[in-house]
Amino acid sequence: MPKDIIIELTINGKNIKAEQGMTILQAAQKNGIYIPNMCYDRRLKPYGGCRLCVVELEGQKRLFAACSTPAEDGMIVHTETPKLAKARKTVLELLLVHHPLDCPICDKAGECDLQDLAFKYGPSQSRFTAERKHDPERVDAPIVERNPNRCILCGKCVRVCAEHQGVGAINLIGRGFKTKVSPAFEETLNCEFCGQCIDACPVGALGAKPYRFRSRVWYMDEYEAICPYCGCGCTTNLSLREGRIIRARGKDGIGINEGNLCGKGRFGFDYIYSENRITTPMIKKDGKLVPVSWEEALQYVAKRLEDIKGKYGPSAIGAIGSQRCTIEDNYMLQKFMREVVGTDNIDSVARFGYAKAQKALEKAYDVDFMPIKWKAPLNADFMLVVESDITSTLPVWGLNFIKAKNDGATLVVADVKETKLARNSTQWLRIKPGSGTALLNGMMKVIIDGGLYDKDKTSAVPNFDALTAGLKEFTPQAVSNITGISEDAIISLARSYAYPGKRLIALTSNISENTKSMNTILAAANLAILMGDDPDTVQVPAEFSNTAGMWMSGVRPLSGGKDVYDMLYEPGAVKALYIMGENPIVTFQDAARVEKTLKGLELLIVQDIFLKEAARIADVVLPACSWAEKEGTFMSATGNIQKTPKLVAETGQSVPDWKIFRNLARVMNKDLGLKDITAIRAAIADMIVSGETKDIRRSFNPASYEVMETVSEEYPMFLVTSNILQHSGALSVLSKNLDSVVSDAYLQVNTKDAKKHGIHDDAFVRVKSKRGEVYLKAMLSDEVPEGTVFAPLHFAHAKVNALTYPSLNGGLPLVAVSIEAA
Amino acid sequence: MEKFLLRNIENPNSTDINEYIKAGGYKALLKAVEMKPADIVSEVRKSGLRGRGGAGFPTGMKWAFASADPKKPRYMLCNADEGEPGTFKDRPILEKNPHLLIEGMIISGYALEAEYGYIYIRGEYPAAKDILDAAIKQAHEKGYLGDNVSGKGVRFHLYVHQGAGAYICGEETALIESLEGKRGQPRIKPPFPVNEGFLSKPTIINNVETLANIPYIIEIGADAYAEIGSPDCPGPKLYSVSGHVKRPGVYELPMGITLREIIYDHCGGIRGDKKLKAVIPGGISTPILPADAIDCPMDFVNMPKHGSMLGSGAVMVFDETVDLVKVCYRAIKFFEHESCGKCTPCREGVGWMRAILERISGGSGTAEDIDLLIEVSNNITGKTFCPLGDGAAMVVQNFVKNFRSEFEEKIH
Repeated sequence: MPKDIIIELTINGKNIKAEQGMTILQAAQKNGIYIPNMCYDRRLKPYGGCRLCVVELEGQKRLFAACSTPAEDGMIVHTETPKLAKARKTVLELLLVHHPLDCPICDKAGECDLQDLAFKYGPSQSRFTAERKHDPERVDAPIVERNPNRCILCGKCVRVCAEHQGVGAINLIGRGFKTKVSPAFEETLNCEFCGQCIDACPVGALGAKPYRFRSRVWYMDEYEAICPYCGCGCTTNLSLREGRIIRARGKDGIGINEGNLCGKGRFGFDYIYSENRITTPMIKKDGKLVPVSWEEALQYVAKRLEDIKGKYGPSAIGAIGSQRCTIEDNYMLQKFMREVVGTDNIDSVARFGYAKAQKALEKAYDVDFMPIKWKAPLNADFMLVVESDITSTLPVWGLNFIKAKNDGATLVVADVKETKLARNSTQWLRIKPGSGTALLNGMMKVIIDGGLYDKDKTSAVPNFDALTAGLKEFTPQAVSNITGISEDAIISLARSYAYPGKRLIALTSNISENTKSMNTILAAANLAILMGDDPDTVQVPAEFSNTAGMWMSGVRPLSGGKDVYDMLYEPGAVKALYIMGENPIVTFQDAARVEKTLKGLELLIVQDIFLKEAARIADVVLPACSWAEKEGTFMSATGNIQKTPKLVAETGQSVPDWKIFRNLARVMNKDLGLKDITAIRAAIADMIVSGETKDIRRSFNPASYEVMETVSEEYPMFLVTSNILQHSGALSVLSKNLDSVVSDAYLQVNTKDAKKHGIHDDAFVRVKSKRGEVYLKAMLSDEVPEGTVFAPLHFAHAKVNALTYPSLNGGLPLVAVSIEAA
Repeated sequence: MEKFLLRNIENPNSTDINEYIKAGGYKALLKAVEMKPADIVSEVRKSGLRGRGGAGFPTGMKWAFASADPKKPRYMLCNADEGEPGTFKDRPILEKNPHLLIEGMIISGYALEAEYGYIYIRGEYPAAKDILDAAIKQAHEKGYLGDNVSGKGVRFHLYVHQGAGAYICGEETALIESLEGKRGQPRIKPPFPVNEGFLSKPTIINNVETLANIPYIIEIGADAYAEIGSPDCPGPKLYSVSGHVKRPGVYELPMGITLREIIYDHCGGIRGDKKLKAVIPGGISTPILPADAIDCPMDFVNMPKHGSMLGSGAVMVFDETVDLVKVCYRAIKFFEHESCGKCTPCREGVGWMRAILERISGGSGTAEDIDLLIEVSNNITGKTFCPLGDGAAMVVQNFVKNFRSEFEEKIH
């Protein structure tokens, strides 16, 4: 229905305007008129179950549910009349007959819709007496507790799970009065544990176990902060009691996420309270890290840096920044390195992640940062997602793909894994791992051969001939061989992609993923340019909370310095390394090589919040403040620059990263001139361009399909790695809440492969590649096809990165492995 | 009156396609496929046929709405979820005359340019399901179903889907949800199924008996059909009569026949020649009538004027020995059991009416209970999501209105 048609109606004597297609409730809310409701949720289709939003329409005898009745021009609506008061009173009276009056021990009390509405509209006393519901509470699942007795069957949790999250882990089971919300067969809840149902619940029927019995709501103060995990940049609302964060939740309409959060954002905050936190500076003495004072630590670092500088020159010193530290922290790191140490050897793990995308987009469009558009999926008619588990890596942005699909857009997912987007897609093409580049090339070949591209716009783009020459070998038949899908599927995908409409290709470029390379992104950009589409039609999000900000603040070689590949994989390239907020032994590929490099350094300084693998082998360990213990700024994947506040006290003697650099510079007799965060912000203001891109210059860049490792008799299977939904890099594993869902590494093995190798669910598997071998617990699953196994990289002890290797350029770092029951 | 809907059912082999053809079956289909689809729709419109499921909505109008929606494909659904207590009128068609329904569906599918039809049959009719499946197989073999119906290039495929025992799935949108494999709960209207129904496509849902009338309209023409029965509400009607009559059963009689005629002329009067106490004329959710109100003509137009409704035409007859409070209690127990649980007034309110009725019926009711009962029912009427709650409230209201003294007698 056209939204631009404005209609006029009268509510409670007030003339209001609304868009055609709105319900009465939406029209009222838009005009600030309150209508009580319990089963309405902005994100979901109207349900009409609770019957509290009933209104009177003049000329109609019946009452109408405002949430599900379309507003019409000239309608005269009354929302508060004696008749309605009576209807609402009865509804509340009926709901309260069976609802346990356990408000004194219910965590929801004080912010409970039923409580509030009963107070406003309900009866003071009930005319009915009956036994109240007394089903057992279900606390058997991690994180989510369910109390079916308090449930008023509004169905919001069920709908938010199925419609909005694309999961459908719970449903209403049973009928009539005996209806209850439950997973199938009343089994233990086993879902992705995003907790969206908890925030949607109007009563205390669903709760967060970590928050269970922790506080009455009126004892808490609530603050908005920016989530420290992924590049979405969601606003999370943190509740504090006595200086401690005890709850995080999304609030309707707040932040870019508009109240949505994933499990990491909602439950992952507790990593800051991990027992593993570093509380004092430490220096290695006699092979053991011993606590020292800040004074001693800084003097030591200053002296050692000066020594190495004197001995080998400043280029023997390097630094690694952090995608999770704030812009201020990263800025001060590079400033310290450039101005005090005098080196340009500054880089980060993003070199193997988002930097690949930046390099590709720079080639294709001549811009070095292309922020994503939050609503890009919602504006598209045809979305193609190539080998990217977006709902795992940027979960809340990923929801827009599901919403767009539900609203009628076409979503095609090409992926070897059955991801959530694959399950929610219009069409899922199960391609062979790493063959996305070939698929995109194959599509272009079909489009060019069929003359379906935008000839006017491409005529001015350089390198068209090189592109067509490069695509010569990507015939449907060849691409079918590479991808494993039929020629017809490739041709019809290309044709439907070329069909007029708003197109979108989305893919991620994350450090943990090994099925894409820079060439995959180049191929996607080529396709978009070929169709004459805007750069916005290629959406590649920056991975973590401050990946974009780190890049912007200069954490990368700017004048020929060594990049992270040289520093970590070329032993001897640097003699000293200053690592801030990163644990390369877990996050970098080919972990054994990285560890060897680090161990060979003359000086390793690790400044972090946890004592993890890299810190344990360091010469100096400096305790940094975590998120929420310091004020700072993040730049999200959309290019939004958002401040996040200091909410809790520093742990032990930890100090914000930026302050450590300021202090260290002072100890080294060099004042950086920036004494506090305000001064830093002023200094970086002109350096950072918020989400704005300079003029783009398109060019085609033939993207070859180079596989760096293929399967062999010895290593007959492909190992696919990436982040999983419940974890983010190596940080989230320090969250007890998130660990209660997934606490261990695993290897997804297809049931047929498992049978072939005699592997049982939950039993250990020995996984071997050319570079090493690891033992992982088997998870039998048809999310991966035969011949492919999957492992997440988050868990340090599992050392999955012992199997992998890095790729800096266009080559695909596919990993061939063998598996056997251990 | 000449029987049409129940024609041929005395034949022990009535379900066999050859017998059906011998008795004149599938002739209407052959005639229909020579007509233009739009002409069939206007013929049905002209006939004045009203839906036999209970609401009495003009079938031709529903069809015209669906034809006006350009979205394709369209689906043709048959509501065979006959679950209202007292109603068993569709059963003889399903079990004894399946080809009549199939023929009606093919003609309707052709008229509405729907290529797929589904018969949603209640789970408690397992025999009918087997019979329909066998009949559909025969129709395929004879070329009446498939990709080339009667060699005319018309495509129509028909499937039978069994319900799982929920009264609410007789509500058309809940039926669609159930057919889609979801939980049987009604949907918000609008959009109406004619625009967005099964799989979000235009969908026509008609009752078994409605569809069984279609071949007759084609066979004798709309004008001749409109002559049968009441002028505003023509056609033959199946009445399923149960309770204290001498000859209960399903009767095919013209629309507009009075209740008295049905009970005394066709069903032989009250069993044991006892006195009649009350009649529920159209299935449990239609208002109960006292014995002196049975001279009302049974059709969709006249029944409301006499304080009740035609509903499905399921006549339930109660003689003087019946405890109507108990009947009311049993009826509400049924609604409580069948409430889907989606909306509060129905889910919670019907349960409360049952609790109060249980008290009154069991002799432990209080003087305030009758008023409380009415008050609860008033707060259900017009406030529920779908008509199921309304139906339950109406039962209570009419039982109390017409037989209040019986309720009062129970209170000591």
